[in-house]
Amino acid sequence: MFGTTAVLLVTRPSAISQARSIADRLLAEIDLACSRFRPDSELSRLNAAGGEPTQVSAVFADLLAVALRAARLTGGDVDPTCGRALTGLGYDRDFADVRAAGDAPPRLTGPVGPVPGWTRVRLDRGGRRVRLEHGAQLDLGATAKARAADKCAEQIAARIDCGVLVSLGGDVAVAGQPPQDGWPIRITDDHAAPEWAPGQTVTITSGGLATSSTTVRTWTLGGRLVHHIIDPATGEPARSCWRTVSVAAGTCTDANTASTAAIVRGAAALDWLHATGLPARLVRHDGTVETTAGWPYDDPGDAA
Amino acid sequence: MPQHDIRTAAQSREAGLAKISALSWRAGAAAVAVAGLLTVALGQHSSARAVPPEHRTQGSIVIPAQPPGQATGTGQVTSGAS
Repeated sequence: MFGTTAVLLVTRPSAISQARSIADRLLAEIDLACSRFRPDSELSRLNAAGGEPTQVSAVFADLLAVALRAARLTGGDVDPTCGRALTGLGYDRDFADVRAAGDAPPRLTGPVGPVPGWTRVRLDRGGRRVRLEHGAQLDLGATAKARAADKCAEQIAARIDCGVLVSLGGDVAVAGQPPQDGWPIRITDDHAAPEWAPGQTVTITSGGLATSSTTVRTWTLGGRLVHHIIDPATGEPARSCWRTVSVAAGTCTDANTASTAAIVRGAAALDWLHATGLPARLVRHDGTVETTAGWPYDDPGDAA
Repeated sequence: MPQHDIRTAAQSREAGLAKISALSWRAGAAAVAVAGLLTVALGQHSSARAVPPEHRTQGSIVIPAQPPGQATGTGQVTSGAS
């Protein structure tokens, strides 16, 4: 799901099967709702609706509401209407297939330009109807993955009454009673890196932690290296002074919202994160690290 | 000053004031028209970019109950980009 891997940890080993069942069911629902690469998903149906009002499920309405909230809280830096920009960059199928396809000519003949913008999305949450104005096309990838991690962790902890950690491609949510010393998490560029990869180890006891990076989900397009974090102002991959940003927040969704926005905002993200009080670790392209708001000391010898 | 000259001066003054008044009215009318056009233009721009009512909710990004703790060694999971 989401073209990535999932990790599920519980503090009561005997509960792992039940926890897995809960997670599998939730993730299947979310995938069917918002996958951009499944023709039978609600998101694909909505993107193909040509701006006509479309009835959606409660699951989809929730995921879209979360994405719109992220857009509002970041002043549009995290925008769900990046679908067309990503498609134009060749990211129109599962990421493994994009990378396997190798270099490809640009798919758009003209400049991409700014994305339509999140205010073009009309969500009637009560009536569960959505309309996309001005040709907006949705991609809920970033916030939906984090929201999925939050929902899995919350529901597993509530039903099984144990501590739980859910990681979806490095977006980590925890719930329930944590281990005595917290959940140890290795912060790296790539979620698939081994636990001893260059980076920093921290612990969390509640909420979520997410990392965004321009170095992992990359591919070549017309001879240039591109990545998946779109700057809504240009419709192009964000040109950030940060290669990787990790943020801890009250939920994984909020952590992901802030880490993605920080990549898009570039240097200005440092003051923004300080002002919001969000603990964060920001890594420049040369490997130097900045931290904010109580993020633990990062031994330079340990960082990468 | 002869009576004739006084009358002529008064008539000239009245005529001048009438012209100024007419010009003022025209300038005022033009200003109102320009202001109206600007209102319409800005209104259209504003409505195009305005935040729809369903998006005008309160809230903020929630900071964690406590910041991450210092740890040594490896983690049980990795948080990195995917």
